[in-house]
Amino acid sequence: MRIYKKEGNTIEILCFPSENVEKGDYLFIEDSKANRGLVTQVIDVQFANVPGILEELLRDSTTDDRVHGENFDPLEVSSHINYIQDSWVLICKIRGAVQDGKLLVNPSWLPSRAQSKIKRLPVTSLLSFVKINEALPIDVGETKEASVLAVDAQALDGKLNIVTGKKETGKSHLSKLLVLGLVGYGAPVVVLDLNGEYVNLGFSSKGENNEYYDRVHVLTPGANLKVSLAQMDLRVMLNILVHALNLPGTSTREFRRIWRFLQQRQAFTLRELGEAIRNWKCNQHVRDALFSRYYSLLNSGFFTDNLAEATSFEELFQKIRGGGALVLNLRDVSSVDRQIVVEYVLGKLVELLTQWKIRAAFLFAEEAHLYLRETYWDDIVTRMRHFGVFTTFVTNQPDTIRENIYRQADNIFLFNFTNERDLEAVSRAARVDSETVKSIARDLPPHHCLILGKAVKDFPMVAKVKALDVQTMGQTRLFFTDKN
Amino acid sequence: MIFSQNAMENPEDATPVIGNHGSFTIESIPLKPLLDATPVAAVDVSSIKVGETEVGILCAIRGAIVWKTKSRYKYLRLGPFPFHITEENRKEIYNLFRRYYFETTEEASAPSLINMQTRMGSLLERWLQMGVSCSSHNSIILWDGSLTAGTADSPVNVMSKLLEIARNHLNTVLAFSKTTHLRLLGHRLTDFVRKTQPPCLLQINGFPVPSGPMFTLGNVYVAKLTNGICSFRLDIDKKIPLEQGIEAVGKLLGNDLLIQSYPETLRLAHIFSTFTANEVIGIQRFIVQQCRLKVIARPNVRRLLFGPFGKGCEG
Repeated sequence: MRIYKKEGNTIEILCFPSENVEKGDYLFIEDSKANRGLVTQVIDVQFANVPGILEELLRDSTTDDRVHGENFDPLEVSSHINYIQDSWVLICKIRGAVQDGKLLVNPSWLPSRAQSKIKRLPVTSLLSFVKINEALPIDVGETKEASVLAVDAQALDGKLNIVTGKKETGKSHLSKLLVLGLVGYGAPVVVLDLNGEYVNLGFSSKGENNEYYDRVHVLTPGANLKVSLAQMDLRVMLNILVHALNLPGTSTREFRRIWRFLQQRQAFTLRELGEAIRNWKCNQHVRDALFSRYYSLLNSGFFTDNLAEATSFEELFQKIRGGGALVLNLRDVSSVDRQIVVEYVLGKLVELLTQWKIRAAFLFAEEAHLYLRETYWDDIVTRMRHFGVFTTFVTNQPDTIRENIYRQADNIFLFNFTNERDLEAVSRAARVDSETVKSIARDLPPHHCLILGKAVKDFPMVAKVKALDVQTMGQTRLFFTDKN
Repeated sequence: MIFSQNAMENPEDATPVIGNHGSFTIESIPLKPLLDATPVAAVDVSSIKVGETEVGILCAIRGAIVWKTKSRYKYLRLGPFPFHITEENRKEIYNLFRRYYFETTEEASAPSLINMQTRMGSLLERWLQMGVSCSSHNSIILWDGSLTAGTADSPVNVMSKLLEIARNHLNTVLAFSKTTHLRLLGHRLTDFVRKTQPPCLLQINGFPVPSGPMFTLGNVYVAKLTNGICSFRLDIDKKIPLEQGIEAVGKLLGNDLLIQSYPETLRLAHIFSTFTANEVIGIQRFIVQQCRLKVIARPNVRRLLFGPFGKGCEG
């Protein structure tokens, strides 16, 4: 391998197929005279623009059905010619430099084109060199060289993460790995589970209880997740009414008065609330608006007047204090009810964090655009992060996540995308150049993930996500299941 | 076999120089395609200098024969054959080629290093032409170039023998020259067919014969075989009757594809033999790896002296 060109952060390296280099591989360019080296990553493999190649290909293309023949080449020179024809140019991005055994991020020098030696840098060497999986490793899979790739749980702590990729590439699988990894290290995790994919995390693939059985708590709204009005904070209730149920401003003001009235009377029940709305002296339109929201709350099945069946989040968080997951099963929950539940849970979470009843929580949000209101996005990446809510967004529609989220994301776990628009959306991430994202993600096979960000100390790495002995499958209902 | 020792070194010089013109007439011969399934064969050879070493030059030659039978083209490519030619071995290599190709035991002085590549290419070409002449029957054999003999590459006796073998096998040799220096009344020979309706041959009666050691072993025509801007000098073996030669061109029209008056079989032979830049790199790699020779890059003196104005060949 030889250095061919350098332009900006990109180095082009000439190479032959026999050198067996692939996209995502790391190369070390060693300039022994200068006692320095560059760590580069291959982001694309192209054919070298060998002069005369077009003529040769055109000539070869004439040897079709109409033209055939043979070559008498006793010295086998053709093999050398073909070798040149197959030569590659590796498009590499500079990831760092090594000088006197120390890693530098921004190299400001050029290695010698004539003298430098280029060799493949095994991922294991890179991992130990940059100390990626040191303290609390979460084993996410293996590299191309079959070495274990683990990310440090601390690299997810206090961070904003995105897991994205097209359908059936293994996103949920990886996020389950991360959830269980965090739970394993004693972290409290809240999962907003849109499709009921996480509900069996406490069971092995054979259906038996696994080591996480006692630490995974599945909450299904209307079934084992109900709350009483007494548990409700006015702010949270108003958020539900305004954001989930679109209550207009005037009606909101009346509701606030009704709520204060009930507060004074210590009568926080649905029945009392209904009565209060009925008897409240207000404009008929306001009353109608309030009643329609009241019935929405009532019909959601999420609210109860029976304090015995009401869920106490304080108690739930107490249960997972030493590590556990609260899985909010939003499957079969209507879109409005989903928003009500999420508003409540997030409001409660912030409340508990503000009161220091819990230290921090990791929030995993699947397809968050389906239940998260607009204003929450900024909230999550700014305000809530400071309270201790560390979010991981999981989505197969990357354009549903706002650009500022990508810009502030600390870690991105990227699975295959072929659509240009999707790749364009993800490439806005600040932690890596867009060429890397577009080039590598396009060719990722299923269950292979490109990890970007702090989890890999900004050395993008491709991992084959490891299998998980839990019931992980999303319960997609199929029509032709019996036909095979 | 004897050939002229006075032969010229440079093939460019091999083009006959026409003296003062006497009286001559130009006759246009219209042609008709003859569809009689006559096989067509074509031969071409390429040579190229691929580099230099401290003691000599590196060159490669490659030949191609293409046959057109029915509606299919078949080719045989020979080479590339790389050579490292030095002052020490040039005579040995040259005479080895001559021994095989001209079947002569007589030692000859080798051309200068700079001309070796072209000379070896020509020797291979004659050898391939000989092979095709021997192995084909009732065919049209297309050569690249003219039927001019008397140069170092094309001794009269060798060329005559080649054509004789072809005739004995009932073959007709048609030699197409892509460029010609022949002029009449100051005009290039090929310019005379501009106003004629293709397919036709232009026969120049009373065309002066070249003087000196060179001979034209063919009748010289200008061929305009299709519409388009191109026409070529066409040499047809002098020793076959004129009618047979013209009939052979008709057979070529009927049995081969012609684009811009040039036969496809000969075009393919040229394409298959010619070297691309990529192949030059491949051959250099072969030489470096297999022969452990070090290719040196000599500074381009023109470039050094004249910078961007230093165009043309190095030196």
